[in-house]
Amino acid sequence: MDKFARIDMGAAGGPKVTVGPVGEYAGLGGRAMTSLVVAAEVHPLAHALGAENKLVIAPGMLSGTTGSMTGRLSVGCKSPLTGTIKESNAGGQAAQVLARLGYAAVVLEGKPEGDDLYKIVINKDGIQVIVDNSLKLMDNYPLVAKLRGEYGDRAAYMTIGSAGERGLLAASIACTDPELRPTRHCGRGGVGAVMGAKKVKAIILDDAGMKMRPPVDPIKYRDANRKFVEGLKKHPVTGEGLPAYGTNVLTNVLNEAGGYPTRNFKTGQFEGASDLSGETQAALEIKRGGSATHGCHRGCVIQCSGIYNDKDGNYLTKQPEYETVWSHGGHCGISDLDTVAMLDYMDDNIGVDTIEMGVTIGVAMDAGIIEFGDDAGAIRLMEEVGKGTPLGRVLGCGATVTGKVFAVERVPVVKDQALPAYDPRAVQGIGVTYATTTQGADHTAGYAIATNILKVGGDVDPLKTEGQVELSRNLQIATAAIDSTGMCLFIAFAILDQPETFQALLDMLGGFYGITMTGDDVVALGKKVLLAERDFNSRAGFTKHHDRLPRFFYNETIAPHNQAFLMKDEELDEVFNF
Amino acid sequence: MEHEVPGSAPEQVPLRCQNVALRINRDQLEVFFPMLQRGVTVQASLGCPLGEFLCAQLGIPEEYVAGRITTIFLDNRPVDDLERSLIREGSRVTLSAAMPGLVGATMRRSGFYAALRQGITHQEQGGAAGAGQGTVRLKLFNLLLPELAPLVLAHGVLLQREELDALLRALEAASRMGVASSYLCGRDACGGILVTVSLRE
Repeated sequence: MDKFARIDMGAAGGPKVTVGPVGEYAGLGGRAMTSLVVAAEVHPLAHALGAENKLVIAPGMLSGTTGSMTGRLSVGCKSPLTGTIKESNAGGQAAQVLARLGYAAVVLEGKPEGDDLYKIVINKDGIQVIVDNSLKLMDNYPLVAKLRGEYGDRAAYMTIGSAGERGLLAASIACTDPELRPTRHCGRGGVGAVMGAKKVKAIILDDAGMKMRPPVDPIKYRDANRKFVEGLKKHPVTGEGLPAYGTNVLTNVLNEAGGYPTRNFKTGQFEGASDLSGETQAALEIKRGGSATHGCHRGCVIQCSGIYNDKDGNYLTKQPEYETVWSHGGHCGISDLDTVAMLDYMDDNIGVDTIEMGVTIGVAMDAGIIEFGDDAGAIRLMEEVGKGTPLGRVLGCGATVTGKVFAVERVPVVKDQALPAYDPRAVQGIGVTYATTTQGADHTAGYAIATNILKVGGDVDPLKTEGQVELSRNLQIATAAIDSTGMCLFIAFAILDQPETFQALLDMLGGFYGITMTGDDVVALGKKVLLAERDFNSRAGFTKHHDRLPRFFYNETIAPHNQAFLMKDEELDEVFNF
Repeated sequence: MEHEVPGSAPEQVPLRCQNVALRINRDQLEVFFPMLQRGVTVQASLGCPLGEFLCAQLGIPEEYVAGRITTIFLDNRPVDDLERSLIREGSRVTLSAAMPGLVGATMRRSGFYAALRQGITHQEQGGAAGAGQGTVRLKLFNLLLPELAPLVLAHGVLLQREELDALLRALEAASRMGVASSYLCGRDACGGILVTVSLRE
């Protein structure tokens, strides 16, 4: 991974490709690469859909190797949804293929004049940028099918649907899974709109003729990877719970805890939760001949995904994740898994973020556009997004825009990005991360990374209530570091509980790069990334006053615990004091 | 009364009973999962610690409770201390294995991130917990469904007549053999019909 590609889409005479050494960004991967490039090279006041913005695509530090769980791809830019810096990552095959092709990053710059639409082909021979107007306004499933006809089934595809072309602020970038379905999305923050603004419809990645990236110390790397896999397989979350039920196993638990936001955050429990649960979903998938256990990229041993078939046993979509089932389900008062699965398919096909779209439809329901629980109405609204009607464009621009257009007071966003599936009034600590993350409300910004093992910020007594700010800070630092490795975040649970598995991860990094990595190195990387992101946001005009939840979280209590969000502003302001 | 499921010759005479004992094959166990996921009413000795309810009353091994049931809710509140949380009439007890996500980790019993859920953690308020026999609402989630269902069902669950009706129909559908229709008429006993289930080995 010693190449750094820049593609100036706005160059005089047509797109211009420059491939050079990684240079000052050497040693970076994933979120560290995307965020440090954006922070250094994008004007913070740039229009996110303008020529000054850049779209940085980066595999993780270990992507393209024989290591397990190394297939996350990071995409970064200034977000058109939030106005902040943005890193959005996804599984699928793209990261592995791009890394094997030797690219530490591919940066889309500039903006072409005219209406031509482009595809970019990256293979062992280099990079080609080709006009292909036959792809205009195609959605992801037919688009990938068409591209496969031309480029075959060995390639990995990154594409945008019609939403990205239209510049909708919820637009995603799809990455194909091992079965070449466009089911893995860099979903959050409107990164698909940035790709669309640069008139890039598809990136075809073909690693034919390329080999796995070789480690500096193959034996150390192999042994560390073996221990890492053993650790993942023996842990009850990564070895049993996620493979059996997927992330939607959380529905029942969150509902029981009273932290399952229902009908646009009006209550913390949904009467239809058990109909939507991971347990119910897995049983249905198996009954219909699908699968409750499936990996989003080769080399995944957790296999948290699945295949969701329709009533006739035909493929409908990949197994919807917990946040998707929540946003299109309980958040909208919908308890039918088939409806949720259809909406998930439509999200993937049109190319929009499932969380943002589900939350937006819930806001639209609050506005009275349709009733809560209206399954057919929700599908109809998604069809409007796909058609690009005026209403569809409003909805496709997310919860904030929809809330403003329809004068809805209860709009669950931070920095204009929709809150995911956990009510911060029931789980106050996650509200700290929602409020303060550099990314806008994001449940993965402060994940359950092993801060206890890393000793990020020193020892914190987790049972002391005042530890919440410290925990959120430490989690955000640790997560920024893990996001940079290209490892799936779900490794968090095994390294949280099993120090030997965390050591195996460090040894993988060390064995691959021929260095000795410690927890301190990981923490330092995380801090570097976060500080760069924070600095970008500050220069973009964001202050501590943006690090707040919407007022209704402070003013309205939520059943069953009848509790409001209680964290004081001064406490939130302490999160980034490192 | 005791009943084998499936049976080859459905009874045609309505039976009246407060107790139904079913014997099923292991592969029919999953018929009970939706019901256990939504919650079942079980008999319990009141006033005792939650740990005692799980181990002494339901018969779950202590090491299983300690190592496998990592997430427990009592009346919608995550529990850290099983010995200081008391069972009362109508208590709602929910059992789960380890869960993914930060919030999953947060809900863990005495987990490192327990502070993140301050405000909803179960705190025993004192006051009389009552004594004698009563009922508790019990839910099983995820990995614990197949693992604990046999114990809970052997302990017995209290069902209303229509619930038993639906259960027997589901068992019938699962077995594809006629068995259940004549057993749908349990007496309207206070607290429901006690249904115990054993597995054929």
